[in-house]
Amino acid sequence: MTHRRWFTPWLLAGPAIIWLAVFNLWPAVNTVILSFTNAKPLGGGQFTGLENYGRILDDAQLADALLNSIVFMLVCLPLLTVLPLLLALLVQRKIPGITFFRTAFYTPVIASAVVVALIWGWVLDDRGLVNGLLQQSGLADSPVSFLTDRWLLLFSAIALTAWKGLGYYMVIYLSALANVPGELHEAAAVDGASPFRRFWHVTLPGVRPTMMLISVLISVNALRVFSELYVLSNGQGGPGGRDMSVVMLIQMYSRGFTGHLGYASALSLMLFVITLGPMLLLMRLNRKAA
Amino acid sequence: MRRIWAALTTTAVTAAALTGCGLGSGDSKNGDSVASAAATGEVKGKVSLQTWALKPKFTDYVQGVIDGFKKKYPGVEVEWLDQPGEGYSNKVLSQAAAGSLPDVVNLPPDFALPLAKKDLLLDVAKADPKLADEYVAGGVDAYRFAGQDGTYGYPWYLNTDVNYWSSELLGTNGLDPKKLPTTLDELIAQARVMKEKSGGRTYLMSRKPGIGDLYNAGVKIMADDGKSFTFNTPEAAALLDKYRDAFKEGLLPNDVLTNTYAGNTKLFNSGTAAWTTAGANYITALATDNPTLAPKVVPSPAMNTPPLYVQGLSIPKSTKNPAAAVALARWVTDAENQASLAHLTSVFPSTKASANDPFFSRSDGTNAGDAKVIAFTSLAKAKIIQPVQIDDAMSTVINQQIALAISGDATSKQALDSAVEQCNKLLKG
Repeated sequence: MTHRRWFTPWLLAGPAIIWLAVFNLWPAVNTVILSFTNAKPLGGGQFTGLENYGRILDDAQLADALLNSIVFMLVCLPLLTVLPLLLALLVQRKIPGITFFRTAFYTPVIASAVVVALIWGWVLDDRGLVNGLLQQSGLADSPVSFLTDRWLLLFSAIALTAWKGLGYYMVIYLSALANVPGELHEAAAVDGASPFRRFWHVTLPGVRPTMMLISVLISVNALRVFSELYVLSNGQGGPGGRDMSVVMLIQMYSRGFTGHLGYASALSLMLFVITLGPMLLLMRLNRKAA
Repeated sequence: MRRIWAALTTTAVTAAALTGCGLGSGDSKNGDSVASAAATGEVKGKVSLQTWALKPKFTDYVQGVIDGFKKKYPGVEVEWLDQPGEGYSNKVLSQAAAGSLPDVVNLPPDFALPLAKKDLLLDVAKADPKLADEYVAGGVDAYRFAGQDGTYGYPWYLNTDVNYWSSELLGTNGLDPKKLPTTLDELIAQARVMKEKSGGRTYLMSRKPGIGDLYNAGVKIMADDGKSFTFNTPEAAALLDKYRDAFKEGLLPNDVLTNTYAGNTKLFNSGTAAWTTAGANYITALATDNPTLAPKVVPSPAMNTPPLYVQGLSIPKSTKNPAAAVALARWVTDAENQASLAHLTSVFPSTKASANDPFFSRSDGTNAGDAKVIAFTSLAKAKIIQPVQIDDAMSTVINQQIALAISGDATSKQALDSAVEQCNKLLKG
């Protein structure tokens, strides 16, 4: 017996639609609206037109933050696209004890970003493990300013992100590698192809869609970097705030009783538009390659 | 389907337009009528009290105070809410935005200012004209804000900074704990000796200057009307130049460039730095964190004008029981109850009647007792140094620019000009 009413699908989809509307659509729409106002947490909200967007052009810290986010993305992109693939190729082999290594490589992923950044902060500190080793081995006379020099701090955060992200992307690659037909490898081997040629002509084309997906994920995550830089710089963004990311700026402007919600919303929208760039580019490249 | 999405979007946009931009100024109840009700109304019914991180250490104390209040006013019922230390400003902010602030709220002056500006707090001086006679001027002044006519909180407990020195580190590095530096120049000279003797392993100076240091160098931080910052003066630049040179000489660790205020205490606790500044109860806390170091700590008065830290109790205008709220705030902050709290931990009462309590001016002979006496004595000249207008974002900007000047990557003038420009924008924004 089939007993259908017109509202049954709506009833089933309703909770999900309400959830999306309240927690996704509504905040997004509200952000757009707030970006045209001078809203504060305790009031304001008068329409100010494009004033917040004009202020973006005049924000010296934003230029540094954008540069940091872009450098972060440009370095993370090749690192986290290639290294996890190589790692996945290594742990894909069925040899005794390989599960241990798979688990070990994945462990940093489940650790909290803040906890990991705190530990890295201690390790890279002036009196931390790395500086201790460098000084004891005679490679450095005085502590290396990993956490106070503009570029060293940025690259420390990139190294931390790469270390923490390796396992995650490795698992994605592992599932993609499992879908590359074994017969193709066997056929290539019979034809005398070397391991490198098999990798280049069989493995890579087989995981290309995954590689594109991973590239998009890395780009978006890198542009939105926050925890690593925030914790390593004690929330200060380095001397002069030159190590702030765009999200750190948004956090700085929006927090507290006097938070500048209008300007922070304009920055959020700007970041959203910027994130669309690499996504669209990579999707286009993927389509071309396909 | 498209139509449905369009409808949903329209609804959301309309809702946003109606509510997102409608973050009004909260309760618009007439302050005078609330104050009048507070002054003349009967103390009975329900009243709520919100404190900040007093549980579990002071549960018995607060409960005792509440029990005493209920005994005095039998018809009253008190609901006590204690909020955790972390995220208190966000909690108060969400309560204020939702119009659900408790009847009596612990608000430090920098939390009270934005609420007072939005006309959300009661002018307690109107409800209680004797306020200024009973509480110390520094405490009352902390709740009077430039451009706002009124007093927006009962001063509660006070504290200030004391200098703490590691006698062990000073002694082993050629310095005399009995000849402690009292000026920046003396501090730098002794820091140089410590660096030479310790081979750069320990530091005397381990924090970058802040607004307090600029104030003590004679720099005017803010215009009298509270509408602009003015700390980009040649005197301020000269002070930062001294720190920059000291940093370049290796007299301060690299950490100062990104460390916040607490970073200096961490270095002191770990035996890397020989000097820190903290509140009067610091040695008691240190006895838990580093029991070996605690007995070797020597306290001394803060250099120049010590900062005054004030906690207070404010009453939202939206209170439904103003009479009980004012009575409760008065009760919690009265001389007797404040003295009881101050006897439990090293904070100081804001009531004039407590000034002659020998407990505060007599040390028990321990270094913690000495610190308490030093802090109490310092309160007489302590001032609120950091303007309450400086919010989180401004603090970050000031820290960043001072660090930039000390690192030598910008001149002190450039850094100060940039800090003032950014802070003024934030102030006006």
